[in-house]
Order: sequence, then C-alpha cells, then structure tokens
Amino acid sequence: MSRRRLAIPAAAAALALALAGCSSGGSGGGSDDPNAEVEFWSFTGINQKDSVDKYLKGNPDAKVKLTEVGSTTETATALTAALAGGKVPDLVMIQNDDLPKFVENAANFVDLRTLGGDDIGDKYLDWAVDAATSKDGAIIGIPTDVGGLGFSYRADLFEAAGLPTDPAEVSKMWSSWDDFIAMGKKYTAATGKPFVDNVETSIFFSTVNQVTEKYYSPDGELVYDTNPQVKDAFEVAVETYEAGISAGIAAWSSGWDPGKANGSFAVTIAPSWLLAGIKNAAPDTSGKWRYASIPGVGGNWGGSVIAIPARAKNPKAAWQYISTMLSPEGQTTHFTDTGTFPAAKSALESSEVRSYTDPFYGDSKIGEVVSDSVLKFKAFYNGPDTSAIGSALLNTLVDMEVGNVKPADAWQKALDNAKAAIGG
Amino acid sequence: MSATIATATTADIHNGPAPQKKRGRPPRDGRRPIRQHWGERIAPYAYVAPFFVIFIVFGLFPLLFTFYVALFDWNPIGEQTFVGLANFERLFQDDRFWNALVNTFGIFLISTVPQLLLALGLAHLLNHAALKMANFFRMALLIPYITSVAATAIVFAQIFDKNFGLINWVLGALGLPAVNFLASQVGSWIVISSMVMWRWFGYNTLLYLAGLQALPREMYEAASVDGASGWQQFIHLTIPSLRPIIIFTVIMSTIGGLQIFTEPLLVSPESGLTCGGGRQCQTLALFLYEQGFGQFKFGYGSAIGVALFVIVVVVAALNFFLSTRTRKAR
Amino acid sequence: MSDTIDEAIPQALREIGPATKTKKRSGGRVGRVGWPVYVMLGIATLISVFPLYYMFVIASAGASAVTSVPPRLYPGLNFFDIAAKVFDTVPFFQSLMNSVIVSLAVAVIASLLCALAGFAFAKLQFPGRNTLFLIVILTMTVPSQLSVIPQYLIISALGWVDTLQALIVPGLASAFGIFWMRQHMTTTLNDELMQAARIDGANSWQIFWRIGLPVVRPAVFVLGLITFTSVWNDFMWPFIVLKSPELFTVQVALKQLQANRTIDLALSMGGSFLATLPLLIVFFFVGRRMVAGIMDGAFKG
Repeated sequence: MSRRRLAIPAAAAALALALAGCSSGGSGGGSDDPNAEVEFWSFTGINQKDSVDKYLKGNPDAKVKLTEVGSTTETATALTAALAGGKVPDLVMIQNDDLPKFVENAANFVDLRTLGGDDIGDKYLDWAVDAATSKDGAIIGIPTDVGGLGFSYRADLFEAAGLPTDPAEVSKMWSSWDDFIAMGKKYTAATGKPFVDNVETSIFFSTVNQVTEKYYSPDGELVYDTNPQVKDAFEVAVETYEAGISAGIAAWSSGWDPGKANGSFAVTIAPSWLLAGIKNAAPDTSGKWRYASIPGVGGNWGGSVIAIPARAKNPKAAWQYISTMLSPEGQTTHFTDTGTFPAAKSALESSEVRSYTDPFYGDSKIGEVVSDSVLKFKAFYNGPDTSAIGSALLNTLVDMEVGNVKPADAWQKALDNAKAAIGG
Repeated sequence: MSATIATATTADIHNGPAPQKKRGRPPRDGRRPIRQHWGERIAPYAYVAPFFVIFIVFGLFPLLFTFYVALFDWNPIGEQTFVGLANFERLFQDDRFWNALVNTFGIFLISTVPQLLLALGLAHLLNHAALKMANFFRMALLIPYITSVAATAIVFAQIFDKNFGLINWVLGALGLPAVNFLASQVGSWIVISSMVMWRWFGYNTLLYLAGLQALPREMYEAASVDGASGWQQFIHLTIPSLRPIIIFTVIMSTIGGLQIFTEPLLVSPESGLTCGGGRQCQTLALFLYEQGFGQFKFGYGSAIGVALFVIVVVVAALNFFLSTRTRKAR
Repeated sequence: MSDTIDEAIPQALREIGPATKTKKRSGGRVGRVGWPVYVMLGIATLISVFPLYYMFVIASAGASAVTSVPPRLYPGLNFFDIAAKVFDTVPFFQSLMNSVIVSLAVAVIASLLCALAGFAFAKLQFPGRNTLFLIVILTMTVPSQLSVIPQYLIISALGWVDTLQALIVPGLASAFGIFWMRQHMTTTLNDELMQAARIDGANSWQIFWRIGLPVVRPAVFVLGLITFTSVWNDFMWPFIVLKSPELFTVQVALKQLQANRTIDLALSMGGSFLATLPLLIVFFFVGRRMVAGIMDGAFKG
C-alpha cells in the first residue's frame, strides 16, 4: 500500500490526540496559593478594571486576569455553560436578577463562610446577603454594589412647564405614585411632550421593587398571580400609560440615549449604575438634570455579587481579592473612584457616600437619595423564576406601549405570559 | 487500444481488478494482485470513514441525543429528572411555541417567494450574450452573500429604525407617517425578511442564470418564429426548463428559511432573546435558544428542537413531493 | 438502487438538457441590450452594495450621522479613528485571526474529506454505497440549530468548551460538500480515464490522488471558498461555545460591539464593516472563480 495513504489518517489521529490532550487541562482541586493567578469574569460597563488595578497595586505579587464577558445575562449564560462542563473562573460577578437560579444550585459554588468566617454577612445589607444565601445557609456571593433608586429629571424642562425644580420639593410633590401621574399630566398639558420615558422600567420596575412580597411568598410559594401588591404595581404602570404621559421609549432602545439629550422626556429612572449612562448620552445637558427620590419608600434595581465557583482552581487567591476589594473600606474607595454605590452597610452610611453630589445633576444630594433608598428597602424573597416572571410582565408592558395590547387587557395578558414562561 | 479494454467491465473500472483475472502486465508498483484487492475492498469505506466518524459524533449522535434530552427536565447545573413526554405536552399548549411557528413561516414565506421571483427576473436580465460588465454585475450580486450576518442585522436594524431609520425618513419625505416596524408582527417580519432576501437573492440569481445559459438558443428561436412574445417565452419555455433548479432553490431556501436565528437575535438589542415584547419576530430557532441557553431549560429546549426537526422534514418532503407530482402531471 | 439516488434532486437538475453534455453554454439571448436592462441591473447592484456602504458612512462620520435629518449618505473622515477604537474595545485583530484560522482549517480539511468521500460515492462500487449516500442527503435537511444542546453537552464532555477545535471539528462533516463533490466527480472524471488508469494497475487511492483530484481541482477550490465564507459568517455555534474574548471569532466579537450600539453606533458599524472587509478583499481576488463555481454548481448539480 502506498505509505502516503496511511499518512493522512495517521496525521489526523495524531492531531486529534494532541488537541484532546491540550484541552483536558488540569482539573485538580483548588490551590492554596494566595498569589496564584485569579481568573475573574465580570460584565461590561461596570468598570471592574479600576478595582483590579488598585488591587494589583496594593498587592504586587498577586495576579488577576479580568475578562469582561458581556452583558449581565451573557455573563450568567457563560457561567452556567462553564459550570455545566467547561472551565470555570475563580471569581465571577453575578447580577441580582440572575442570582436566584444560581443560589438554587448552591452546590456549584464555594460557601464563602468557609473562607471568611461567620461574620461576613453582618457587614453588608441584609437583603443583599439574603439574596445570595442558599436554603442551607451557605453564602455563595458577596454583594458588590446596589442599585438604589432615584428619578433623574430635567430641571429646565420642569421649569418651563411651571413645575418646581428643587429635588426636595419635587419629591414632596410626587410623594405617591398617583401624585406622580398627576404631575405628569400637568407637565404634558403645559408642554405637549411626554413626561416619563417609558412605563416598564421607569414605573413598573420601581413599583414592583417596593413591595414587601413579590412573586414568591417567604416560604417559596409562587404568588405572583394572587399577590395584590404585584397587581397594584403593574396597574400603576398601566395608569401611567393611559394618562398619556409616557414617551414609550424603551430603555436601551435606539431612541433612549438621544431622548436624554434632546428632551423627548423629562424624567427617567436612574438606579445608581445608570447615572453615568445619562452623562455619556447627553454631555451637553450637564447641569440641567437633578436627582430626587422616587414616590413611595425605598427600592432597589440591580446590584451584583461576586462568587467563587466550587471547581475554581485558586479559591484562596480569589478570596483574597474579595476580602480586600469588597470589604467596607474597599467598597467605599471604589465608590469614590467610580461612583458605584457600595453594598456594605458602613460604607453606605459613611460620609463619603452620603455626601456625594455631582455637578452634572446640579449638585443634587445623590448620595443621600441612593443610600436612603437601599437602607429603607425591605427585601422580598426571590425564587428561581423571579427573573422569568419579571421579564414576562415587563414585556407585556412594552407590548402595550407599542400598541399591541389594550391597557384593559394588559394584566390578564401579563399573567398569561408569566404562566407560559414558567411552564405553569 | 488493446483487447483488454473490450473485456473490462464497469465493475472492473470501479472496483479494481477481480482476483481471478490475471493481468498480462504486472502492476506498476510491483505489488501482488491479492493484497491489492483486499486493500481495494476496504478503500471506499476508508474514504468515507472520516466524514462518517465526524458526522456520527457531531451530527447524528447529537440529533439522537436531542430526542433523549427532550424527555427530561434537564438543568445543566442541577438535576436532571425524567419527565417523559411532559415537555411536548407543554409545548403544544404553549402559545409562545405557536407564535414562534407562525413567525417562522411568515418570515420564511415573505423572504423566499418574492426573493426567488426577483432572482428569476434578474437572471433573465443578466442572460444577455451582449451584456457589458456582465462579470461586474455578477460579482456585485454576491456581495450580500459574503457580508457578515451580524453586521447585516445591525445595519438593517438601523435602516428600519422608527426614529432615525432611512426608510422612515423616505416615508416622511413622501408625506407618510413613520412606521415602527419592529413593534408589529408583520412589520418585524418585513425587517427580518428583507435581511434574508438581501443576503440570498444574488446567489439564487446566479443559480438561475446558470440554468438559463444552458438552454438551447434554438428553442427560443423556434418560439420567436412561431410568434411567441417575450413574456410568453418566459412563462412557457424558460420556467419549465428551469424547473429542476427552481426546485433545488426552493428546497434549500426552505431548509435555510426555517432555521433563521441570527437576524432576529441581533435586530433589536433591547429585546433580548424574545425579539420584541410580544415576541413579534421570535423564530423557532431563537425560541429554542431562549429556552435552552437563556432559561437553561435544556429539556424544553430540546423538545423545541425535536419539533423543529419534524417541521423541517415535513415541509421539505412536502416541497419535494409537490414538485415531483407537478412534474409528472405535465 | 442507483435509480433511486438518481431520482433525487441531482437527477432533476441534470435534466436541464443536452447542452450539459457539451459543457458549452449558449451564453444567453442574442440581440441588443436596452438601457432599461442596465438600469434595473444597476438598481440591483445598488441594493446589493448599499448596506455595506451605509455601514462605512456611519462608521466614518460618527453616530451623529444617524440622528441627522436628512440622513447622511456620504462618508466622513474618521474611519481610521473608529477602526482604532474598535480594536481597542474588543480584541478585534485577535478575533480576525481566530476567524481566519477556523475558516481556513474547515475549508481546507472539509474540502479534502468531501473530495475523498465524494470520489468514493461517485466512482467506486461498494455494498451500502447508496444507503450511506442517502443518509448524507438526509442530513442536509437537518438544521444545525436542532442538535445544538446535545452538541454542546458532547463538546463539554470532551472538554472542548471555549476552544477553537470545537468550532473546527464539527464543521468538517459537510453534507453539502459531499453532495457537491460527488456531482463534480461524476461528471468530470469520466470512465475512460479510470479505465486507462486501472489498466496501468493504479489502485483507487492513486486514481483519486493523481487523476481525480487534479481534474476536479477547480470544484474543490470553489467548495473551499464557499465553506470558508459560511464558516466565517457562522454566528450561532461560536456564540454558544466560546466564552473567552481572546478566542472570539469576528462575528461574536461584533456582538460585543453591538452591546454598545445605543452608546456608540459608529463603533458597532465600524466593527461591522471591518468584519466584512477581509472577506471583501478575498472576494476581490477570487470573486470571479466563486461566481463561476456557483454557476457551475447549479449546472452540474
């Protein structure tokens, strides 16, 4: 036989073996070296790079490889895929919407109490730690930041419509959601333009995060369809739409950023992590914005934790990063550097945080508004399908705003969508 | 040539010499006929083996495994529980599934029918012996085919944008109201379909052109002599002669059209995996991805996959039978 | 049994007419080409090229081009700035390399494997030949999304998640490629040639390597081009399998840019344009062959 004929199959076999060998890397247990290289997955747009740089400056022997995987959802997808069978990072950021699914399968993560002792929970907001605690009490993530709520509004447009501009007065004027709608009607009547950007994120995501019980009862039973608080929260959004004061511009849609710049709407919800977004989108409107607390009491949208997967190669080194950068002091410093609001209690109450203002927002007392918002926030139980139900309800509102669903039918449609989403 | 040619059968040519026939001339490489014959017998299998090994591991086995996973409630990072046909029961009662089905077919029809007609017409235009810059036109038509799919989605989303899109600007210039394409179901179908049409119409045009150029001139000349108009020639001569190629493009477009995934995914960033608050443009493939990789319901996602498989096979078979039957009916 | 195979689509396509045997095309209709034809072809060309051009306009003029009324249709001067920004935001050059590696690997290896298998199906008789070929045809009807989930599980089991080989190896089994090569082998490699070779004592491998392959080389080349293009543009599978940005192919890197779409449209348009540029360059050189190959394919199919 021709030797050449065997050569190709042989080469292919060798190649396959080599490739297989290359990829099945080490799967040994975690190492104890605190300076081993830490593989850190974070989302884009959250600027963990500053944090990492600071850590490396303070700990010159440490090594951290930061990868910005994508959006929060994409990072969660990547993490799940990795946990299911690929190589896992040593540190990973998980956004609070995605957290319940992971907490439910807590065995995939290291119980951080084994690395940091029993008192770690006390340092951070109770509800934030609870969200990362499994049924057996294992704490799988340390909260990194929160999404305290406030409304950003254009003071110049308010003035033109005859509304007060000072944040304290504005907050008083819209102390309840009904008052908010009335105020919006006044604005639209005076200017002919929409008051708020949309109802799904600006209204619904605020109201539904102010409840004491959301989609699940404290025992973990599904109650989204029977809980009157959820329905009320939803109906506020519908009423806002019916009042004709919404611009119908969905968050992150093509008209959203231009809308901030050109006054298509005067009010938009701004959890602390969106504050920078407004500045980026509308740099020419600096000084025209203000920040005031929202109607109702407290609220939180978003926030994340950092976790260590159980199969991580270097858990000790990973923990060193967490204990340094996520400590209350670390979070306070991070706040002063980047404006990301901390989840540590003492950090939130610190003067650095509470006195925070920004000239872009007319020196409104942003720090106070945000920290009050999260400190007053009463947690509710989040189950594994919380995010799916929330999306189903939100999407119904989006659909209503583009005209596909009649307001009167919206709640029922939302229930149907939620039911389908969870396989009810 | 020599007498050996006359006695050699087709089998000989394709199989190599049979063991009992002795060749007058010894083989060039001096090997014995018997070992050569054994090698020749397994040779064909060896040649198709690489393909089949890879196909079985990465093509056939996953397909069968999809059927298996579909019978489970499969959490990739948790537990897997056997649920039998429960996923399918849920699927048939799931409005989102039927919605995705309607979307898939709607998009498929809008993107295939006008596109193939257009391709036919363009091929007809290109089919001129005296056409200048023929190659230039042909190459230009292939540019959409090589353009990155992700890039296409971003550009088209921009063109159809309700606030700043070119289409709405043109409508405005004509005095018509702006259309929020992605808000309505049919509107979003139009956006996705235009992407698909744009990508493939050049490719299909070239296929038809090839077929047209193979048609004998005499056929048209005779028809002209008989007084048939250009249009009549087109309907009664061109199209029937192109039938085989048309069938081919219809079937390939069907298979491709039922699998559309990237365009709905990328067309509106704020909609995530649902392609619109009301899932206006969520195709079956995107629904599969949303359930499987978005919600991590691998079992349910696999059930969607099985449904998609059945649909593709049925539709492709339908297409094939319809075309064969009409051929025989002629 | 061979009738059944020939009943299938390939036979249908071969029924175009006696012209196929002579391989000479009529070249089209005679007569003068009126200007309406050029106008319509011009419009078709414009439609084909416009989106790419528009990408370039926005990329070079900045996002403000989008919100201007009337929309801007001529390019600006900032293209290189935006390109630089694209390279800064995502490891774009790396992703270009990854795409080249993956596309080239699949194109070359798959073409050879398909040529080999196509040769066997076309020219060699062996038991089970027709059944196996039927299976190949059937797999063309199966959309790739179907088995994505188990395929992912298999890749995990092999430890290949987030690797380039996960993109290369599964792509080597191209049913279309086998179909294509079998057709070309059947029509180009005629029996007389094989007969002569057999008499000279060549075994099937030698016939394939020394005679068959050189004769169908143009078809193999075109198959390689088509495969290269389709792997280059493949989005879904790399998107699912790859997680490390340094391994991203160009299409997935583009999705990263898209996340910033509302913030900086020019950036994602710039990335889109750059993602197509390499293919455009290749196309500039081998486009004619690609056109001819696609047309031949219809012909011989």
